[in-house]
Amino acid sequence: MSEARPWIINPFDEIAIEEALRIRERGEAREVVGVTIAPSAAEEQIRAALAMGLDRALRVDDRRELDPYAVARILLAVVRQEKPDLVLMGKQAVDDDANQVGQMLAGLLNWPQATFVSKIEFLNGGQRAQCTRETDRGLEVIAVNLPAVVTTDLRLNEPRYVSLPGLMKARRRPIELLTCQQLAVEVQPRTTVAATSPAPRRSAGLKVESVEDLLVRLRQHEKVL
Amino acid sequence: MDAAASLQVSTREVFGNISPWMRAAFYGMVFASLGVLAWQVAKRARLWRQGQPGGFARDWRLWARRLAVFALAQKRVHRKSLGAALHVLLFSGFVVLTIGTTLLMVADQGPVNFHRGWYYLFYELIMDVFGVALCLGCLLALHRRGFRRPVALGHQTRDWALLGLLLALGVTGFLVEALRLHYTQVETGVARWSVMGHFVNLILFPKLDLATARHLHLGFWWVHAVLVAALFVSIPVTRFLHVLTGPVNIAVRPDRPVGVLAPLRLEEVERTGRTGVAVLGDFTRQQLLSFDACMECGRCEEACPAWASGKPLSPKAVVVDLRQAMTERPAARALHGGVIGADTLWACTMCQACVQECPVLIGHVDLISDLRRHLVGEGQIAGPPAKAMASVGRQFNPYGRPATERLAWSAGLPVPTVETNPDFEYLLWVGCAAAFDPRAQKVARSLVQLLHEAQVNFAVLGREERCTGDVARRLGDEFLFQELARANVEILNGRKVKKIVTPCPHCFNTLQNEYPQFGGHYQVQHHSQMLADLVRSGRLKSAGKASAPVTLHDACYLARANSETAAPRALLQSATGTPVCEMPRHGAKTFCCGAGGGRMWFEEAPTQRVSRLRAVEATQTGAQTLATACPFCLNMMSDAMAGTPGGEQLRVLDVAEVLLEARGRTANATTRAEPAAPGTAKA
Amino acid sequence: MIQTLVILEHDGHCVKRASLSAVALARQLGGSYALGVLGSGVAEIADSVRSFGASVVLVADHPALAEPRADCYAAVIAETARQRGASTVVGTSSTFTKDILPRVAALLDAPMLSDVMAVEIKDGVPCYQRPLSAGSLCATVKLQGDVRVLTARGTAFHPPSPNGAPSPVEPIAFDAASLPNGTQFVSRERSTSTRPDLTEARVVVSGGRPLKDKETFERLIGGLADALGGAVGATRAAVDAGMAPNACQVGQTGTVVAPELYIAVGVSGAIQHLAGIQDSRVIVAINRDPDAPIFQMANYGLVGDLHALVPRLIEAVRA
Repeated sequence: MSEARPWIINPFDEIAIEEALRIRERGEAREVVGVTIAPSAAEEQIRAALAMGLDRALRVDDRRELDPYAVARILLAVVRQEKPDLVLMGKQAVDDDANQVGQMLAGLLNWPQATFVSKIEFLNGGQRAQCTRETDRGLEVIAVNLPAVVTTDLRLNEPRYVSLPGLMKARRRPIELLTCQQLAVEVQPRTTVAATSPAPRRSAGLKVESVEDLLVRLRQHEKVL
Repeated sequence: MDAAASLQVSTREVFGNISPWMRAAFYGMVFASLGVLAWQVAKRARLWRQGQPGGFARDWRLWARRLAVFALAQKRVHRKSLGAALHVLLFSGFVVLTIGTTLLMVADQGPVNFHRGWYYLFYELIMDVFGVALCLGCLLALHRRGFRRPVALGHQTRDWALLGLLLALGVTGFLVEALRLHYTQVETGVARWSVMGHFVNLILFPKLDLATARHLHLGFWWVHAVLVAALFVSIPVTRFLHVLTGPVNIAVRPDRPVGVLAPLRLEEVERTGRTGVAVLGDFTRQQLLSFDACMECGRCEEACPAWASGKPLSPKAVVVDLRQAMTERPAARALHGGVIGADTLWACTMCQACVQECPVLIGHVDLISDLRRHLVGEGQIAGPPAKAMASVGRQFNPYGRPATERLAWSAGLPVPTVETNPDFEYLLWVGCAAAFDPRAQKVARSLVQLLHEAQVNFAVLGREERCTGDVARRLGDEFLFQELARANVEILNGRKVKKIVTPCPHCFNTLQNEYPQFGGHYQVQHHSQMLADLVRSGRLKSAGKASAPVTLHDACYLARANSETAAPRALLQSATGTPVCEMPRHGAKTFCCGAGGGRMWFEEAPTQRVSRLRAVEATQTGAQTLATACPFCLNMMSDAMAGTPGGEQLRVLDVAEVLLEARGRTANATTRAEPAAPGTAKA
Repeated sequence: MIQTLVILEHDGHCVKRASLSAVALARQLGGSYALGVLGSGVAEIADSVRSFGASVVLVADHPALAEPRADCYAAVIAETARQRGASTVVGTSSTFTKDILPRVAALLDAPMLSDVMAVEIKDGVPCYQRPLSAGSLCATVKLQGDVRVLTARGTAFHPPSPNGAPSPVEPIAFDAASLPNGTQFVSRERSTSTRPDLTEARVVVSGGRPLKDKETFERLIGGLADALGGAVGATRAAVDAGMAPNACQVGQTGTVVAPELYIAVGVSGAIQHLAGIQDSRVIVAINRDPDAPIFQMANYGLVGDLHALVPRLIEAVRA
């Protein structure tokens, strides 16, 4: 039995890619470059991103389980090489939900950052970006000088679909390969996962008898109140 | 004069009043106008040739059959309406008169003048009767256009001109005949056969002297002749073109059943770099020809549920706009955005009502599908429908549920799988809706209980079952569909499946009619068909206890695309003991619930919901239960009822659930369903 | 010298109660801890946190810090941590800490763990527990290095009650002129409601068609949401009927939410709605119909008349 289609881009990064493409389509950007740090098995994902419309795709070959800081350090080297005006990325990864890389990268670069952005507009002829951020306290609007790092919120846009013909065209395009050695960056993960265990199973369809019973379960059993 | 002698003189002189040079001029004019007609048609044909070669049906027997049914018998035109009546009159009148006039010319030019005796008398009678028919048809058409003014018909100046022209032809024809009868002094016994002409003669020209009659005759004759030439010349530039292009399209349109879309070939796409239709030249020649077959009757628009619910899609406008583009623009000019908007394309539910109504067999759904394929190929789709297709690609179902949860619906019920029951006779293809949509899961559960009771030897694929890909194909990702189709065919053939039963008409349609395109040939039944058979044969006893009255919402892909309207009715009748209380739009003329064509995944404003319109129709029947035969219809109608006045009283149930209820059972008769997969919650 | 620096969040008037959960984490880590308050005109706020057992309450009070601009705040926090020799910087997980603390980690060349749910010290080495894979796995993690940054999941650590001797308050020394100036604050749209945003809320209470009208919807659903400090959601049917604004619509074509607790009141559970809530940690359904599809997805179901049950629930929560 064949496997499910393996090419899944992190949905948040898909949104970042889509936004970048729209910025280019508006004429506000010249080139959109995508970068992934991954082993070669991820090439399908990169093709999907190319199929969406990237101008170029880079892959930094690294097979290790990297923590966010390590990822940020590698991206730092790539950014120094590519010299973009704007770095866009999804606000978090679906595997570790860390939500750190963009902010760390901005710190290492000493660039301004705008996180959880749901709208971007460029001001002053592309020297600043006005970003609307989704925060706990409501919508916040800030303006950051470029170059800057922006992480995207789910509400920024709806990414375009990739169908097989687009993917086929993308197969013929090259993916530039880089290594940590070429980038002159050495990272050692500093997070060790000692163990993983399945999360407590969601109990299913238990009918409670009363409001009091419900609260007891929510407070004591689920610890959600 | 006695009868025999009278018969001897029953003939008429052809071109009696017309001098030889006038006769020559006449023929010259007629042939010139025919020449203009031919030239104009050739110009149109050049436009059609811009399309991709092919798309034509090649079997002349098929052509003959179709022409007989749709062009002569005009099966699609018949309806209880003024439009249908007047078309019968116009069509028959025009055809008979044309044949008659041609016969006359043949009799005149040919070796034998057969235009005499009984033949002549009956000829005169028939011509007059159909001449009246033509005039009457014109008058009714003018009335309809002037007073009734149906919106879908559309009104242009040239329409009035055309009708006027036809009426004038009819009227002048009778005047000419009356005057001929007068000046040739035909004796009454014979003249009476030319019913109308004789009548006109008596009323209008009783005291006319012969010389004046001859002059008038000549005058009107020329008017009539010029009108004929004018008619020929006007054919290509008015609705009248359909008399030529209509039968052609009827004959040569592709021979594919309604509800089946044509596959794309990957090699084709790789070679041309093109998916679907982006510019006019991407359509097939037959499709371009079909635009010219349209006479803008508007029946497709009247039947369209998207149009009825206020969306920017009118099948007629699609065809007319494409025809306009074909006339104005070069074949390479882009269609999307300018000629046809994306909103128009996405509004279609692919219910095929338009295709079913079209008297000249235009395939509107194929046009929309071809255009959608291009949009999807370019990635120009986003939001919930894109996510649904992405889920189909990753998790093999459009609901985004993990593939491992395929059997979660069956918790507590003994459901044999192809593993546990390898000697199954029927494969129960559950479908994604019944597997993952909690409302539809009850349908699956009901069906399984009934199958067990009837001791049907069945099994489900379980985790091996994937989406049939219908949603991908309808939305326009043909290759995602093909990937799934090929994989499913491999799995089904690997399990030696021969017979399939499924509760979903979309799966039914795809498995039965579209999978053969990929090497999958199965005998597929919809669950209502199997259940009706089981009840009929006595293997399932129906207690007739379900509450009546019940009304049935026919599923588009069952009733219209696959002509199955009897089985659900038989089932409901046996379950309730009374016949189904029908909605006005029922059977093959059912009104879509709005979920087809991938629309299940589109957000709709409440005022634009197709299902609301249908819900109103259902509440007006006074029934207590609305039965459906499709999990999408079930979902849409349940939702719509909640928002419709009087709808809360109406229960919405699948036919299987109604049958089960008739036996005093419910879907959740056994233990409550538990999620089969490990919790997906965040810890 | 302090072990841990706890960054507190406030709204300009008072401290956010949830941010005090990080204090509980700091206590579990052991050693002394300081509380950090940044902003402009925050003397009173600093005062209000003096009785949480900190060695010191550190305050950076300057107009340049009036709004939480990540580059400035991170610079100040990192500098403070260095000055005080803190080996750990913590905060409670929120958009504020998620924005700023990773940048702090980068400035301190420190690894960071977010959403820590528990910590155990084994042989003097802290082992942190955090969720992985959208919550389906729980990982036990160790960190290397001298300095680390953590955010704590608010629901996993109970905020301490104020007691004990008041901590001293000290200003943080920093050079305002050398703060980064690449970010300008433009505006904040403080939602007229005090309720949290639907996608960020920990608790979401949704109502369906049976709530009948706008007033009842606000009274019951709004009331329960407020009692739980949660956000208000609605089904498409409720939005169509005008009971709730469009922005509240939860579902496949509305907003997709994944809160800790999702309470569905009078919601039948059409698949389009369920698609928008399936990743919620705990789902509770209150419905009159025991066969409603929502019960198949809910962890807990309460069958009955919502008009009677919801007011009782509101009361019981408040008690």
